[in-house]
Amino acid sequence: MEKNKEKAKVLYDMYSFASQNTIISYTGPFDSQVLAVLAANIEYSLSKNPRIRKKIFKIFIELAQNISYYSLEKLDAGDGNEFGIGILIIREFDNHFTFATGNIVDSKKISPVIHKCETINLLDRDSLRQYKRKLRNLPPGIKGGGNIGLVQVALTANNPLDYKLIPLSEEQSFYIINIKIDK
Amino acid sequence: MKDIIIKGSRDSYIIPSVNFNYRNGICELSGESFLEETAKFYSPLLEWIREYTTKVQKPIVFIFKLTYFNTSTSKCILDFLHILKKYEDNGGDVVVNWHYYEDDVDMQDDIEDYIIDTGIKINLFILD
Repeated sequence: MEKNKEKAKVLYDMYSFASQNTIISYTGPFDSQVLAVLAANIEYSLSKNPRIRKKIFKIFIELAQNISYYSLEKLDAGDGNEFGIGILIIREFDNHFTFATGNIVDSKKISPVIHKCETINLLDRDSLRQYKRKLRNLPPGIKGGGNIGLVQVALTANNPLDYKLIPLSEEQSFYIINIKIDK
Repeated sequence: MKDIIIKGSRDSYIIPSVNFNYRNGICELSGESFLEETAKFYSPLLEWIREYTTKVQKPIVFIFKLTYFNTSTSKCILDFLHILKKYEDNGGDVVVNWHYYEDDVDMQDDIEDYIIDTGIKINLFILD
C-alpha cells in the first residue's frame, strides 16, 4: 500500500512538472510517424504566432532528428529500422518559450558535440553564419562536418544553447539541451 | 530526358513539390523539405540537373519556393547552386529566382549565405 502511494506521488510530481507551462511533452521513440504527429501539434498549438511557430518547428526538426539518430536507447521497429528514444518538452512563459530535449548518449562519443555547443556559444550571429557556411562546405564524411543542426538551432533561436551532461555510468550519459526562444 | 514531377506531402516525411521540365528548362522546388533521408530524395534531382546542364545545354530557370527546409536539405540546395554556377561559368544561360515570405528574416540570411558561397546571382521575389 505504502509503495503504491509512493508510486502515485512520483507520477503526480512528474505530472505537475510536465504540465506546468507545457504546450507539448513527449517521451518515447522518435520515429517518422511520431515526428509527423508532433509536427502537426506544434503547428496547431502555435498557430496564433506564425513567427514563433516557424522557429519552434525548425528547432524541433533538427533536435528530433538528432534524437532519432544519436540516442543510445533505440526502439527496434522490426523492419530493419531503429529509432532513438528521448524526451521533448516545449513550454511557454510570459516573455519566452523553452524547447528542451534529452536522450542517453555514449559518453565516449559525446565530447565533439559538447565542444560544438561551446564553440557555438562563443560566436555572435555573423560568426555563427560563417561557421555554418564553413561546416556546410566541408565534403561529406569529414570529421566535424556533421551537426550543422546545432548551429542552425542557435541561429534560429537567437540565443545560446543551454546544455548539460549527466553521467549515468562510465559508458552512458544523459544529454540535455534547452533552448530559449524570445517572444 | 524525362520530366520529374513529385507532389509534396506531409504524411510521415515532409517532402517538397518538384517540377523539373526539360523542354522549357523551368525547374521548381516548392513547399517544405524536412526529410530524414535527404540524400536519397535529392540525388536523382541533382543528377537530372547535371544531365540537363551537360547534355541538353539549353537555358534553365531554377525557381525556389521553399518555405521551410532542414540543414541536410540546405546542403543539397548548395549542390544545386554549385552545378548551376558551373554551367553559367561555362556559358550556360541560368536564371535563379527565389520566392520567400517578406517577414522571414532567417530565410533572407540563408539566401544571402548561398550568394556568398556560390557567387551566383539570385533574384528575390516576395511570396503572397
